[in-house]
Amino acid sequence: MNRNSNFQSALIMLLGALILQFMPMSGDWVFLKPNFLLLLTIAWMLYFPDQYGIEFAVIMGIFADFVFVSTLGFHILIFAICGLILIFFHRIVVYLQLIHRVTLVFLMILLVEFMGLAIDSSFDKQLSIQDIVLLAIISAICWIPLDKFVGHCYSRQK
Amino acid sequence: MTLDSYTSIFETSKSNISKAIIPLQLAANFPHTVKEWVSMNTTSRTKLEQKNVSLEKERLILLGQLQRSAELAAENLRLRQLLNATELLMQSVLVTEVIGVSPNPVNHTVTVDRGTNDGVYIGQPVLDAEGLMGQVVEVYENYSKVLLITDINHALPVQVLRNGLRSIVEGTSDFNLMSLRFVSPTVDIEEGDKLVSSGLGGRFPMGYPVGTVSSISQNSGEKFMKINVTPSAKLDRSRHLLLVFTLKDGDVARDMNEQK
Repeated sequence: MNRNSNFQSALIMLLGALILQFMPMSGDWVFLKPNFLLLLTIAWMLYFPDQYGIEFAVIMGIFADFVFVSTLGFHILIFAICGLILIFFHRIVVYLQLIHRVTLVFLMILLVEFMGLAIDSSFDKQLSIQDIVLLAIISAICWIPLDKFVGHCYSRQK
Repeated sequence: MTLDSYTSIFETSKSNISKAIIPLQLAANFPHTVKEWVSMNTTSRTKLEQKNVSLEKERLILLGQLQRSAELAAENLRLRQLLNATELLMQSVLVTEVIGVSPNPVNHTVTVDRGTNDGVYIGQPVLDAEGLMGQVVEVYENYSKVLLITDINHALPVQVLRNGLRSIVEGTSDFNLMSLRFVSPTVDIEEGDKLVSSGLGGRFPMGYPVGTVSSISQNSGEKFMKINVTPSAKLDRSRHLLLVFTLKDGDVARDMNEQK
């Protein structure tokens, strides 16, 4: 699998992530919907940091800002910080077991949510600690198929 | 972030991107459309007959209520004319369907399938079967974005149905909760009081149900009471909404003449 087909896969997955993000949910479940754009960014940056670097994180951040109708720069900042952490750790994490990567994603989502709350203190309704942990667990579960797929692309390219 | 927060230089690009995102919202809505289509095509004849009977009964009841309401409206008009009051505002409505919701749980907006081609305009009030839903904030050719009354940036002038007390109800980013601001402890307000739009500000027509007071509390040392309101409209469940067109008496008469 060459770089071109990797790019196509990333594009298709981006489209899928956007559709999942827009999927309507009701009640308190709205607050527990994972950030699929962030999961996608983590997946591609973890496995292909040379092709999908910090610029990719920034572009995905811009996307997220428009999708979530948030202040421009809010998600860029969060995605860029996540990207930096991933670039720093990817060589270790990518060779570990799936459970370790799931744990990394869980911790990353916790970090993102706390950063989000710290940056945007204008939200009247803030997620409780239980909600944040639950969201991180749901995101970590959603990460598994994503990891399998991008991992498959990675092993094919190698 | 500072530029976006304090200026509006990105508004045009944001609006254009929102327009480009609408097809994705339609795609995300596709499973629900399929589910509705399947359930509609697999309903048994007996169930349809039962539904038909119940709808017929409901129609009769509503027609009865409508006769009474028409009589009251006519009486109201006569009294206003006697008092030489200002022109009475009347409303016509347009049915629309929700085709997308905001993915951000804090922003309470929905996209509906009517736009400038149907005469929709910015600031237009939107209702569901139970009460006031929100107002149109962005309009495109065939779609519009509606800001719901529970959005954290939304405020709405209301009055208590029981005694006419005026106040402002604000969204809290929770579909089932709004709050009344700056109500002093001496004011006559009780749990269970119905709130309707007051018509002040000119944005929303007067008299539409907004919500019910669900709890009242006051912390010692605070000047105002904390009043929670449960919205009347099913903000996270309603799929079919009504866009309200406000017409003055003259316009209504003109409309009726044109129809004749």
